Amino acid sequence: MLISCRATVVSAAAPQRFLSNFTRISSVSIPSTFGSSLINNDREKNIKTSLRWSNYSTRMDKKKNLDVTCAAASVPAQPLENADALIDSVETFIFDCDGVIWKGDSLIEGVPETLELLRSKGKRLVFVTNNSTKSRKQYGKKFETLGLSVNEEEIFASSFAAAAYLQSIDFPKDKKIYVIGEEGILIELGLAGFSYLGGPEDGGKKIELKPGFLMEHDKDVGAVVVGFDRYFNYYKVQYGTLCVRENPGCLFLATNRDAVTHLTDAQEWAGGGSMVGALVGSTQREPLTVGKPSTFMMDYLANKFGISKSQICMVGDRLDTDILFGQNGGCKTLLVLSGVTSLSMLQNPNNSIQPDFYTNKISDFLTLKAATV
Amino acid sequence: MTEVESTTVCQPLSLTNVRHLLDSVDAFLLDCDGVIWKGDTLIDGVPRTLELLRSKGKKLVFVTNNSMKSRKQYALKFQSLGIPVTEEEIFSSSFAAAMYLKEKEFPPEKKVYVIGGEGILEELKLAGFTGLGGPGDGAKTVQLKANTLFEHDKNVGAVVVGLDPNINYYKLQYATLCIRENPGCLFIATNRDATGNMTDLQEWPGAGCMVGAVCGSTEKEPIVVGKPSTFLMDFLQNKYNIPTCRMCMVGDRLDTDILFGQNAGCTTLLVLSGVTSKSTLQDPPNHIQPQLYTNQISDIFDLLKS
Repeated sequence: MLISCRATVVSAAAPQRFLSNFTRISSVSIPSTFGSSLINNDREKNIKTSLRWSNYSTRMDKKKNLDVTCAAASVPAQPLENADALIDSVETFIFDCDGVIWKGDSLIEGVPETLELLRSKGKRLVFVTNNSTKSRKQYGKKFETLGLSVNEEEIFASSFAAAAYLQSIDFPKDKKIYVIGEEGILIELGLAGFSYLGGPEDGGKKIELKPGFLMEHDKDVGAVVVGFDRYFNYYKVQYGTLCVRENPGCLFLATNRDAVTHLTDAQEWAGGGSMVGALVGSTQREPLTVGKPSTFMMDYLANKFGISKSQICMVGDRLDTDILFGQNGGCKTLLVLSGVTSLSMLQNPNNSIQPDFYTNKISDFLTLKAATV
Repeated sequence: MTEVESTTVCQPLSLTNVRHLLDSVDAFLLDCDGVIWKGDTLIDGVPRTLELLRSKGKKLVFVTNNSMKSRKQYALKFQSLGIPVTEEEIFSSSFAAAMYLKEKEFPPEKKVYVIGGEGILEELKLAGFTGLGGPGDGAKTVQLKANTLFEHDKNVGAVVVGLDPNINYYKLQYATLCIRENPGCLFIATNRDATGNMTDLQEWPGAGCMVGAVCGSTEKEPIVVGKPSTFLMDFLQNKYNIPTCRMCMVGDRLDTDILFGQNAGCTTLLVLSGVTSKSTLQDPPNHIQPQLYTNQISDIFDLLKS
């Protein structure tokens, strides 16, 4: 299925890639049943970033009624056969976590040896996860518990991305941030020196819709950050909505928009895309997304480590976040089938996202060698 | 007599056009929130205006996207505010959801999972369907443990999502699993209003919020039964046998009420007593122009009596 590109393709680094719905936000239209007009996104006026980033709208799901016009046809993914060649061709590996390194709290087989192999070959390892419930430090502890030696500096969770984004635009320290999300976001905002409100404790707040009741909100809130939130409720939605609608210039950021996530390895759970969708519904605005597949984190770490994107291989289990993230960034992409995506999903005619390579799991790096002549 | 033209610039209701409005319309379709009441507070002048319209032989139909109550419960609300209105004159989106399933011959042995208020459950029951969820699931929490599976009823054949001030993760997860895993499961939205006057003092997130949440986790778009979808209008036309060109839709919201009326070819009258201000109406980004606008519906009474 071919999907139309909505805006100018900014990245010239991915010529053969299939770039779908690559949107640089200047104005955003929300598909709706109302026939409402284009909604002017004036948040860009607040953006003074030195990083070239692009926000990708994740509303490119194949099941929706999107206009389908001609775009570059995608080259089918190749099964990984010569792992060494791939390893030698890049300097950095970016790994997604859920479904690649671990599933729930269980380490995927062969991961420690694989990471060791890559490090021994001098490769830089980076871990990029859309999960915003933990901070980088808390993820560091998770890696440690699983017996992996990973430095906090190598981890980029979308909770961190939200704070890093606000820093990159010089978000004023005297403004506050309202958070619909879990602890990870609060910790990262705090570490970056920002004042925040909301988070898990608002999960216990109730409202009573009766005459004379007025919900107040802090007029100093200059940004609302929305991520996955198990303690989601109407109070939070109203608070976030009031800030976005009534505080002039208030930013609306999403850590990520994953529809479902594997909170436990047994099944899928409604993901951050749900909470973000709720705020989109009540504000009629689209957020700035900092997590995959937006390339904000890619640009950030390329800048930070001084690496060229063509020297990066993105390894993930999800097509519409991980692989698209890699493609949008102009990197090589490797899909692993140890997570949410199966081979039949990859090869389904309805799927238009084709990574460069696919393989069962990352420990295939240890076993897939070039045939010796 | 000049026809009220459908132009891109709307006219204020005035002495010069109010009589023509009355003469050209046999039925007034009235939104409720922001037109009749705000939350539980009656808007000034409404009872005498409705009485006047009835005395002139106009049919009154109340069309509300608010799915919290059933038609019967809305009738009780009207009565408690001193306005005589029968159940049959009310078309809530809760009723619309049940009628939609009936029209589609939804099998009664299948179940319907509801994110919303009692109103939806009641209408489903009246139509002979089995509803699950609703307000009762507002207290449920989610256990995230390695060996615990979040179960859902495989017999759910439709999920109906409406305004739900008791929205929580449990409900979102339940609905998400039904839509994603039960083959052929319908995803129905009572409406997608972004906000509404749930209380008199401010706006609150509307069903658009809950529906948006489920869209976000299922990556599907719902079938919308409330305004501005024409489902309800087709239903009304069948019932009353009045051509839409002889109907006037009176509402406070451009992208539901006014669009609803326009889509069907009705005269449209925007009142500024609800969510829309004059500046929003006249703001360049707004492309929805009703034929007429006025401050509140009692202006009809005041203009006719002067």
